[in-house]
Parts: sequence; structure tokens; C-alpha cells
Amino acid sequence: MRTDFAFVGVLLVAAFLLMGAALVAASLLRPKKPNKDKAATYECGMETVGDAWVQFRVQYYLFALVFVLFDVGGVLLFPIALAFNQLPAWTVLVISLFALTLLSSLLYAWRKGVLEWD
Amino acid sequence: MTFFDPTKLNELLAVLPEIVLVIWALAILAFDLLSARGVSRRALGILTALGLMGALVACVPAALTAASYAATDPTKLVVLGGLVRFDLYAFAFRGIFIVGAALTALVSIDFRAARAGGEYYALLLLATVGMGLMAASNDLMLLYLATETASISLYLLAGFMRDTKLSAEAGIKYFVFGAVTSTIMLFGLSYVFGLSGATQYQVVADRLALSDSKLLLTFSLLLVAVGFLFKTSTVPFQWWAPDVYQGAPTPVAGFISTASKAAGFAIMLRFLPYVFSPVPSHYVEGSGVWIAMMVPLAILTMLVGNLMAINQSNVKRMLAYSSIAQAGYMLIGVAGFAASFGQNTAETTNALAAVIFYLITYTLTNIGAFAVTGIVAQRVGGDDFKDFAGLSRRSPYLALAMVAVMLSLLGAPPLVGFAGKFLLFRSALSVAAQFNNPVFIWLVVLAVAMVLVSVFYYLRVVLAMYTQRAANDAQPLKVSAPVAWAVGLCAFGVIATLLAIYPLWELARAAALSLML
Repeated sequence: MRTDFAFVGVLLVAAFLLMGAALVAASLLRPKKPNKDKAATYECGMETVGDAWVQFRVQYYLFALVFVLFDVGGVLLFPIALAFNQLPAWTVLVISLFALTLLSSLLYAWRKGVLEWD
Repeated sequence: MTFFDPTKLNELLAVLPEIVLVIWALAILAFDLLSARGVSRRALGILTALGLMGALVACVPAALTAASYAATDPTKLVVLGGLVRFDLYAFAFRGIFIVGAALTALVSIDFRAARAGGEYYALLLLATVGMGLMAASNDLMLLYLATETASISLYLLAGFMRDTKLSAEAGIKYFVFGAVTSTIMLFGLSYVFGLSGATQYQVVADRLALSDSKLLLTFSLLLVAVGFLFKTSTVPFQWWAPDVYQGAPTPVAGFISTASKAAGFAIMLRFLPYVFSPVPSHYVEGSGVWIAMMVPLAILTMLVGNLMAINQSNVKRMLAYSSIAQAGYMLIGVAGFAASFGQNTAETTNALAAVIFYLITYTLTNIGAFAVTGIVAQRVGGDDFKDFAGLSRRSPYLALAMVAVMLSLLGAPPLVGFAGKFLLFRSALSVAAQFNNPVFIWLVVLAVAMVLVSVFYYLRVVLAMYTQRAANDAQPLKVSAPVAWAVGLCAFGVIATLLAIYPLWELARAAALSLML
């Protein structure tokens, strides 16, 4: 067990050495010609026009939450569907209870007006 | 390990209160949704309190069954595939959570946050479910899931008044701090699992005893402890408390400062002796590394809580620091429990029972304190010391209730807080005598000194109410009946529990004994 971790340690040291060597070599070899555009902030694309702190509609968020319902349902119901023929009645009862709970939360969201866009 | 075995249906008795509460939470939501014009807040609050009382009643047969199992066949105590331990300890803590939640539900009726109705009360019930499972959890996974169930509900409740900046800040701060600490705890739990290859406490303890990675074990203890220390607002994880209590809706702050703290102690006391007893200690032989940690933590927590409380101008912040200080006193009991664990059952039982007893008295008292503060904040328009001016003339009974809870928090002799402190300090002193360990004598000396310091800030509220005058002296504060009942119950409990000290202490002792069975 301990020796297994020794390999990890050696790899870790090697990784740091290699990385350091590459960085030092690059800084020695590369030409240095800084200018204003190179120093500008670069965040995945164009500079923003106007304020970047826009507010999104809260409905996106609520929709995402409702999606989680189906997500959970999907993840847990697929394996059950595969094993459905071998399941005892008791288990089916418990699963239906679970599915009903999920359904009731969808109904709750519906009734609270989450599904309406305006 | 079969989870759905119809022949073991009686094992569900171990989580009967939680089943009742989940059904009731869904019913509250449905009730709120289906009634065409919305149910009144008052009805929802009272319904929630009734449901909680139902859960408390459900605790009784379950606890009796647990007691009979404990007497006949202790192996039957670990149920539901090893996830839950079916013992009196869990039910004693459930009693604390449920009573705390019921009082909070009643107190909430007058408050703006509760106007959202069903969701507020459902979250309160779900937080109680999470706490109940925390107290009962016998498995690393359930420990984490239950803690999160309770925490996430409380994050939402703390930020429930979205339109006020303070409440939103409280919610965000509580969430960020809580998320980080629970992540650290989960990381530690992953090490415990990695070292033992099991999640059920008993199996984990057996395997850890054979493990030779003491260093890694100590490291993982520190990580796991972060989660517990956050829940109990122990120094150095107390930073969130004042800001959260100040910003959160006042009844919720009262709930977080009592039930959530009790839940933190519940998981800490159940988890640590099991899993970490193999780690060698520095103070008392065989007591585990966490005694070495608990003593300095108790000292720091008492000091920071008491000294910071002096300088506050806001009563809710003062109560926040006072609740940190109270956690410090309770840590003395935890340290005593740790020091004597596995060596002397009488000392261990007494220390553990003293902590449970203290939590019972503290819950009753502190919810009352936050309730009165909340009423003043709601009606006078602020919760600084100056807003309490003239309360004795405006609402004499409210002022009297506040005096009772303040004196009880202080630990003044005729009130129940005195009994709590007395039993706690006595257990620490007997640990000191039994193991010839002067550390505990000095802990008690420091605690008594800190109690003297706390006289200053607790009586400041009383002085403001009784000696200062307000501009509109004659005008009483408007309090609706259920809220008045809840405050009255707290004040009455603080005074009258004195008559019930013996049965309560016996209950705490029985709960403590059942943990160590």
C-alpha cells in the first residue's frame, strides 16, 4: 500500500519538475514584446458592450429545477424498468410511492405557475 | 441488507416520527395549494404545531419499543439495514427538535416571513425531519444526507425574506459557509470510508481498531469535526452565527440557534466515540484524540462567545454570541464524556446526560428569548437594546417573560438554566476527581468566571426594559394569541421545569445509557 503511493509521489515530483523546466525554458526562449491589446482582459471571447451583470429571467432557473424532477425520475426509473419482471409486489408499491411523490412535486410547480412563461 | 423486506415492517417504527412529519409537510403544502384563496397564516401555523405534536406522540410508542429492545436484545437496536439506531438517545433528541419546531411554528405566525405560508412551514417540518434522522443515524451516508436535509431547509428559511437585504445576506452566508464546511466533512468521511471500507458505525469502529494509519485517521477526524463544529457554532467555525441570526427571520434564528445546534451535538456525541476511540490521546489514556481537541475548543468558545457578546448593540447579535458561549459550556460536558469514555460508565453517562439535559433547557429558553426579541423587532421596528426601552410598562408580561429567559440563560438559581449548568459543571468536576485530571477543574473555573461576565450582557436587556422609558409608554405591543401562548409556554417552562428536573434528568440519563449500550 505504502509503496503504491510512492509511485504517486515520484510522479508528482516528476510532474512539478517537468512543468517547471518547461516554464523556465519558455521564459528564456520567447520574445518579449508586450502591448496594450495583449494585456487586455480575455474572458472567453469579445469584450462586453455595456454591463455584463445582466439579470436573466428567473423562469430559466425554475425550469431547470423542474427538469431535475424528470432527471431524478429518469435515473432511478430506468434500472427499475429493466428489472421490472423480477420485482416483488412490495417493491413495486414502494416505487409507485416514489413516482407519485415526484409527480406531486410537478403538480405543485404547475399549480404555483412555474410552467407559465409570463 | 434488504431495505424493503415486508417482514421487517416493524423496523419502520424507528423512523415513525419522521414518517409522520414528511406526510404532514406534504399535507401542509397541498392544503396551502388547494385552498382557493389561501389559508390564513394562523391556521397553517397551528396546523404545523399540531402535526409536530402528532410526531411527538408517535415518538412515545416507538421510544417504549426501543427501551424494551434495549432491555432484552440490544442487537435489535440497529435497524433498517444498519442505517438507523433505534435507541432512546435518538428519541430524546427528537423531543428537543420537535418541541423547538412546534414553538417556532407558533411564534412564526406573527412574522412577515411566514406570509409565504405553506412553504415556510413545510421547510420547518422538513428541517425537523433531517434533524431527527441526524440524531438517529448510524451510518456515514445517512449522517451526511440527514445533515444536508436539515441544512438545506434551514438555508432557505434563513433567507426567506428575499426582499430584505439582511435576510438575503443571512441566507447566502449561511449557505456558503455551510456548503464549504459540509464539503470538508464529506472529504473527511471519505477518508474514514477509505480506511475502513464500511459506512455503518459499528463496522467502521471494528475495522479502524485494526488499522495502523493513525496519522491519517487523526487527519480525517479533523476534517469530519469541521462539519460538527459548524453545526454547533463552535470557535473557530462561529463566524456565520451573528450575521445569520441577525438577518434571518427571528423565529428561524431561534430555531437555528437551538434545534440545529442540538442536532450538531447529537451527531457529534454519537459519531466520535464510535469511530475515533482507537486513536491514542494525550490527556487521558484511551480516550481518543478528540479530548485533546475538545478542551481547547471549549475554552476558546466560552471566551469568544462571552467576550464578544459584551460589546453588541443589537440584541439578536448579542443572543448569537450568547448561544456560542452556551455551546462552549456544553463542550465541557462533551470533553468530560470523551475523557471518561470507555473507562468509567458512571462518569460517561453523567457527562452525556448533562449535555442532553442542558440542551433541553437551553432550547426552551433560547426560543423564548428570540420570540420576545422578534415581537419587539416587529412592533417597535428594531432589535437593538434601545428598542427594548420601556417594555415593562408597555407589555409587562412580555417583559417578565424576557426576564425569566434571560435569567435562565444566565443560570440564575431558581430557574431551569441553573439546573443545567449545575449538572454540567458537577459532571466535569466528578471527571476531574475520578481521573485526577486538573484540566477539568480549570475548565469549570473558567466557565464560572464567564458566567459572571455574562451577567453584564444578559442584564442589559432587563435594565433597558425596566429602567429606560420609551416615548409611547402606554401603548402595549400587539401580540396575537398563538404567539403569546408560545412565549408563555417558554417562560412557564423555564420556571416550572424546576418541578420536573428529576424526571427530565432521568430521561437524559436513560438516553445517555442507551447510546453506550
